[in-house]
Amino acid sequence: MRRNDGELILLWTLPVLAVIWVSAFFLFPGFVHPMSPTMTAAQVAAFYRDPAHLSRIRYSMILFNWFSVALIPLLSLLVMQVRRMAHRTPILSYCLLGCTAGGPALFLIADLFWLLAAFQPGREPQLTLMFNDLAWMTFTVGVPFLIGQSLILALAIYIDRPDRPVFPRWVAHFNVLVAAALAPAAFTGLALSGPMAWNGLLPFWVKNIAIAVWIVVMGVMLGRNIYREHAANDAQPAAAAAVPA
Amino acid sequence: MTGASMTGADTTSDGMTGPPAGSPLSRFAWHCRNNPKRELWFAWYATVIFYIIFFVVFFPVTKAEPPPHPWWSDAQVAAWFQQNHHGLLIGFGIIFAVAGMTAPQNALIAYSMRRMSVSRAFAYSYLVMYSLSAVPGLLLLCVVLSVGAMQTGLDPAATHWLFDFAFLSYIGTMGVFLVGSLVWMLAILLDKNRVMPKWFGYLNLCNALTEVVVAPAWIFHTGVLAWNGLISWWVNMVVFGIYTGAFITLLRNLIRREDFGDGPLPDLPSKAAGGNAPHGNTPHGNTGAASLAGTAP
Repeated sequence: MRRNDGELILLWTLPVLAVIWVSAFFLFPGFVHPMSPTMTAAQVAAFYRDPAHLSRIRYSMILFNWFSVALIPLLSLLVMQVRRMAHRTPILSYCLLGCTAGGPALFLIADLFWLLAAFQPGREPQLTLMFNDLAWMTFTVGVPFLIGQSLILALAIYIDRPDRPVFPRWVAHFNVLVAAALAPAAFTGLALSGPMAWNGLLPFWVKNIAIAVWIVVMGVMLGRNIYREHAANDAQPAAAAAVPA
Repeated sequence: MTGASMTGADTTSDGMTGPPAGSPLSRFAWHCRNNPKRELWFAWYATVIFYIIFFVVFFPVTKAEPPPHPWWSDAQVAAWFQQNHHGLLIGFGIIFAVAGMTAPQNALIAYSMRRMSVSRAFAYSYLVMYSLSAVPGLLLLCVVLSVGAMQTGLDPAATHWLFDFAFLSYIGTMGVFLVGSLVWMLAILLDKNRVMPKWFGYLNLCNALTEVVVAPAWIFHTGVLAWNGLISWWVNMVVFGIYTGAFITLLRNLIRREDFGDGPLPDLPSKAAGGNAPHGNTPHGNTGAASLAGTAP
């Protein structure tokens, strides 16, 4: 068992996790037709009290609670790639490491608020509304570390050695684009309806699709690099054996 | 190998490099491409820019600082949210967009400990603790006050609970800053590489103590120990302001002094240039190191 065999195991958890994340996303009835911030307390309470919704809310959020932090191993593999880059100091890998827990931790807090709202659906509707708002806002504006990690990764790639880069340059451009796609979600509080509301085009669809595409693209690029390292490691003992001592 | 040659800049016979004469923009572009310390300068500028944004957002834009009164009635709290509706939502929107800039700051401080003659465990502990601190100690306040500001139809009692939640999570998140400051203090006091002056080690202790005196904010609603009180907020803020100003300056000096060796850090280039460096330290493991010391944008 070589050192990066373990990295391959971590990498191949990603397709399994993607299936779980997508399933949990469609299981939660509030995501399929994203809930509007203009819903009244009575409407929000009715959403959580609906027997057809309640189990789906609980099971989807329990799934997210189990597996949302499973993104951290993927981010750690990216930290390992940044460490391979031709940088003078390890500071950009420290920066990336500093971002890894933030995104999943914010999502986990949103998840807790959704589960709290669903725990006692018979509660005073005003309190259900409050937990629902807290959940949606934490979920939607929880982009700071996702923006941070995309821009740090882009910077790391831009200043890598141009002749033998760890990631091709387009991956840096792609990360800048993802950061730009995530940024409008930060300002969702300003709109209760329209394309900037938390159920609107930019903070919901563009943001979540950008996160999904980022995970797929970075997963593929990571896989390419880890398999190359693997092949290089396989070639090394053979090369060493071919050279007489 | 010097950093200059590593990054492909033209070097003179003594290994010195410098930006071309020209517009500030072209000099900036030169530094982005060629400065051997550009990674460290990126983290330092991110720190400075973040604190400027933080100050502007928290004081004039959202008026979350100085904090409003913990003894207010439901109606007064609701009125505060109404008055600051746009300020809160625009200001915290900016914070959500840029709060990732706290990562370069924590990374640079962790780097300062990595450069010291102490275990890497200090740098890693600090990095993890302060990365964690951003969630309860900064972002929760921003999320919760945004909810209070955007949701005008919420019951006044629920709005008041959001208000308490926001300010107590922000002001009452203590342990990560307390222990984090003590970790940095201990690293500085143990360090033999002269990365940070010893007095700054003790200033860390002052910063840590502000996290002790803020604890009564969880108990008192009025007076000097309440969350907006003389001791819990004003003393805390003055010490934090001095502490932040000090470490931003000292981190800048650290980058200017950095020789990418693993021995004691040389003095600032202005002193070293006069040949009077009092300690006469030779950087270890990096023959071209001295030429890097003065490369600052």
